[in-house]
Amino acid sequence: MANLLQQTTSLWNVTMFALAAVVLLLVVLGFVTYAIYFERKVIGWMQLRIGPNRVGPLGLLQTVADVAKLLMKEDTRPQNADKALFALAPVLAYAPAFGVLAVIPFTDSIQFADLGIGVLYYIALSGITVLGVITAGWASNNKYSLIGGLRSAAQMISYEVPLVMSVVGVVLMTGSMNLREIVEAQKDVWNIVPQFLGFLVFLVAAQAELNRTPFDLPEAESELVAGYHVEYSGFRFAMFMLAEYVYMFGMGALVTILFLGGWLPIPGLSFIPGIVWFILKFSLYVFFQFWLRATMPRLRADQLMSFAWKGLLPVALLNILITAVVISVQNGSFHS
Amino acid sequence: MSGSFAAFFILSLLTIGGAVFMISFTRVVHMVISLGVTFLSIAGLFILLEAEFVAVSQVLVYSGAISILMLFGIMLTKHDAIEDGGSRGVNRIVGFLIVAVFFAICFWAIQRTTWPGPAPISQPDVSNAKQIGMEVFTKYVIPFELVSVLLLVALVGAIIMAKKEGDNE
Repeated sequence: MANLLQQTTSLWNVTMFALAAVVLLLVVLGFVTYAIYFERKVIGWMQLRIGPNRVGPLGLLQTVADVAKLLMKEDTRPQNADKALFALAPVLAYAPAFGVLAVIPFTDSIQFADLGIGVLYYIALSGITVLGVITAGWASNNKYSLIGGLRSAAQMISYEVPLVMSVVGVVLMTGSMNLREIVEAQKDVWNIVPQFLGFLVFLVAAQAELNRTPFDLPEAESELVAGYHVEYSGFRFAMFMLAEYVYMFGMGALVTILFLGGWLPIPGLSFIPGIVWFILKFSLYVFFQFWLRATMPRLRADQLMSFAWKGLLPVALLNILITAVVISVQNGSFHS
Repeated sequence: MSGSFAAFFILSLLTIGGAVFMISFTRVVHMVISLGVTFLSIAGLFILLEAEFVAVSQVLVYSGAISILMLFGIMLTKHDAIEDGGSRGVNRIVGFLIVAVFFAICFWAIQRTTWPGPAPISQPDVSNAKQIGMEVFTKYVIPFELVSVLLLVALVGAIIMAKKEGDNE
């Protein structure tokens, strides 16, 4: 894949790029379909229900049926909505969600772009989605969607800071922002052990970035009807929904790479191929999401901001300080 | 036609188009979005120049900045607020003359400049984030620290001003 990028442009390799992207899109769509199914099943079991079990064997086709229903719905648009921005917003929200997947190394050979600054690329691109969310909230011309959009902007922008800060520890230890090198540096011990503090901050901040429980205030249905996408229906609503789950895919992959050792096996079990390890660790994170959603209540809006700035950020800074001091001692900086 | 030329053409078109629409739109949210198009296309141009660290920083800084700008635009203006057509007559002619003179000066200066030959291409396996870091913390360390102190002063100043207003209420 990587050496394809160095060739001169021709019809053949442009077609190859397009095909590879379509394959990734299909994988992601498959993930989203079954992530939603497992979410409903897992939450069902945790609440002593059965969950979806009617459509297909074990209810496996439930999400397919739901998506088909969603896509056949009438595409409504409020009369006073801003037409152009109303159409643009789902694109602005979804495109970066898919774009961030380009730098994720799934194994040491399956990767689209081997960027030297992979971590930063992911974080920078995911920031664009906020713009799509505010645009959606404003263009709908509805007070609930505007409130949802504003909440979402405040939340995502302030939680981005501890998210970035918690990754700095990992980058310091590796000496590189390249995601593949970060995984390879974890050969001896996964980053979750030396960077446990950073891992905790990252986990909480990632939850807020994904707008998921207990930080799902932008979509608090009891307060806001639905949030920034109140007025959307049909295909456009599906785009927002998809963006959210694709971010979950991306964030799961990022946690796996940064802290859980990516495709590296547990010592002694290296006969199992790397991609299986990646999927296992990734599924663990996804399950953690559903587990939280079934058990945690939502945070109050006024506690949200102070938690990010007064709670998470100092902890993340402390983590950077400790990491930097330890690395300096190891390199012998204090023995002049 | 090589891929990078096509990309350059599209990106420069988007950059200039975003800037032009930013001026000609009448609603504040539309202006912010077209400004966003300009900033993101400039990031694309940086990538074409193989300065991916600068490109990503551009996206990182400006996507947040545009969102904040949009929030202020929404909160400080009315929903249906539309800027009126702008000035007419003499003002327009004067404005056009000033812009024309400015363009002429810029064009003349750019044409006259003798550009230095392309810098020796650094080894591509050293990531340019590393190179920028080396330069900033050795050669440019004092300006860099001064800028960070300046930003800190601005931050503290903003907090003090906001606090004063809060106490009066």
